[in-house]
Amino acid sequence: MSAVLEARNLTTGYGGAMVLEDLSIALNEGEVLCLIGHNGAGKSTLMKTLFGLHPAGSGEVVLRGETVTGATPKALALQGIAMVPEGRGIFPNLTVDEIFEMGMWAVGVPEAERAARRDWVLGVLPVIAEFRHRRAGTLSGGQAQMVSIGRALLSRPRILLLDEPSIGLAPKLFQDLLAPIRALQQEEGLSILLVEQNVREALKISDRVEVMKSGKMIWEGRPGELSDNRKLMELY
Amino acid sequence: MLWLQLTLTGLQTGALYALTAVGFSLIFGATRVFHFAHGAAFVLAAYVFYWADTAGLGMIPGIVLAALAAMAFGVAMDRLVYAPIQRHEGSFFTVFVASFGIGIVVENVVGMVFGRSFVTIDSTLSQSRELMEGVYVAPLAWIAIACAAVFFAALQLFLRRTHTGMALRALADSPELIRVFGLDPRRLSSIAFALGSALVVPGAVMTALGSGLNPALGHHVMLISLAATIVGGIGSIGGALVAGFVLGLAENLALIAFPSQWSEAVTFAILFLVIILRPAGLFGRATAH
Ligand SMILES: Nc1ncnc2c1ncn2[C@@H]1O[C@H](COP(=O)(O)OP(=O)(O)OP(=O)(O)O)[C@@H](O)[C@H]1O
Ligand SMILES: [Mg+2]
Repeated sequence: MSAVLEARNLTTGYGGAMVLEDLSIALNEGEVLCLIGHNGAGKSTLMKTLFGLHPAGSGEVVLRGETVTGATPKALALQGIAMVPEGRGIFPNLTVDEIFEMGMWAVGVPEAERAARRDWVLGVLPVIAEFRHRRAGTLSGGQAQMVSIGRALLSRPRILLLDEPSIGLAPKLFQDLLAPIRALQQEEGLSILLVEQNVREALKISDRVEVMKSGKMIWEGRPGELSDNRKLMELY
Repeated sequence: MLWLQLTLTGLQTGALYALTAVGFSLIFGATRVFHFAHGAAFVLAAYVFYWADTAGLGMIPGIVLAALAAMAFGVAMDRLVYAPIQRHEGSFFTVFVASFGIGIVVENVVGMVFGRSFVTIDSTLSQSRELMEGVYVAPLAWIAIACAAVFFAALQLFLRRTHTGMALRALADSPELIRVFGLDPRRLSSIAFALGSALVVPGAVMTALGSGLNPALGHHVMLISLAATIVGGIGSIGGALVAGFVLGLAENLALIAFPSQWSEAVTFAILFLVIILRPAGLFGRATAH
């Protein structure tokens, strides 16, 4: 198994406060890696640093063996990464169609391909068709989350960074959301880094788990091993 | 026929107020920057046009130069003043003071170069003709109203139909999410400033041709832009347009009852009435925060 996206000895923070300390993590080709950890452990900060939204203090971000530390999100998007951010990943003043259109334009999807891309995403997440003409501000939390994921898929990424897609979703809804993502992942060999609080549900679709605490990796293994590890399961 | 006369001049004044206010509202709506130096962009554009006229360059080159000056000023303010303040997470008050200070500097520099007294450009466009008995209208009035309609429609099309327009509508909600999409919020912010500042040009040019200029004009322009933005509903450029017309009409119709030095009081009266009766403004959406 080869790593597609890595953080190597990454250290970063906000102002004086360190959040990640000498952290290394690797996402392997074609796997779903679930990253869990307490609130404030630094999961989102890691995601943002991997996607060029937050500067690395020291250490590097490596994409398919090449250093991309400091690259812009657009440059990374063009190299096949997409991110679904924590919280509402939609613009309330735009319609769903406009969000999709703008999302494709932003990462340079040629005009001639856009309709096909949108139809492809509507194939993966068919419910979106029901509210594509609505202003995104009027969508429910789950609908907004689908749109946010759909938007990320529009660039046909090879690597997907999902930051707490379950936030605000009932477990059943979360499964509805994850099932097509997992299917797509298996079909196309996507690599997914999934940050989740909703550990039990997330483990069901994950190939590997890393546990993070106060900016450091403290445990790594297979989902089954984590479920068997009583001490860790009690914590998360 | 006095009221008809005042309504027509009110529409003319209102058209110019409206576009200038739409410019301010566009900038505020997209960037959440309280661009108090918007009045200074107006003064700059007006005096560049005036200078081009005295230099004999002709009307069209004068308008182009005025537009370039206003846009360059807006973008420079964004890049050199507001961006550093935002980078250091400066407060609303810091932005206000910096912006206000730059406005004063522009006023004084313009005063030093062109003098502080009233100047105006003679033009047949500002010569009134009798429309009907006792009602006089200059061609400038029709041009002003047409400009407001055309430029506003063009702006709406741009915001609705182009990708950059969509991004500008999205920017204020979350510059961070704009970056997640792969766009550059700083670049979009500069576009908002360039466009918003360009919208002062019709007002600036027609004020130079019509009622005349002095370097302190920026304060009145700013008061009107701000009042129109609040009366129209913050974030609604359509609201700013309508409110610009309302303020222009009110200022002129008030002449039936009050002497002309009361015109700013009328603006404030409308502002306070709206704040008390309809705090979200005429077209404001009630927002959660
Ligand atoms: N923009 C910011 N400015 C300052 N500090 C921040 C900022 N964002 C995050 N932090 C701090 O950095 C630390 C890590 O935050 P981060 O969002 O990465 O945690 P997380 O693991 O994603 O938590 P959660 O599970 O709550 O999403 C926290 O202590 C947080 O307070
Ligand atoms: Mg987080």
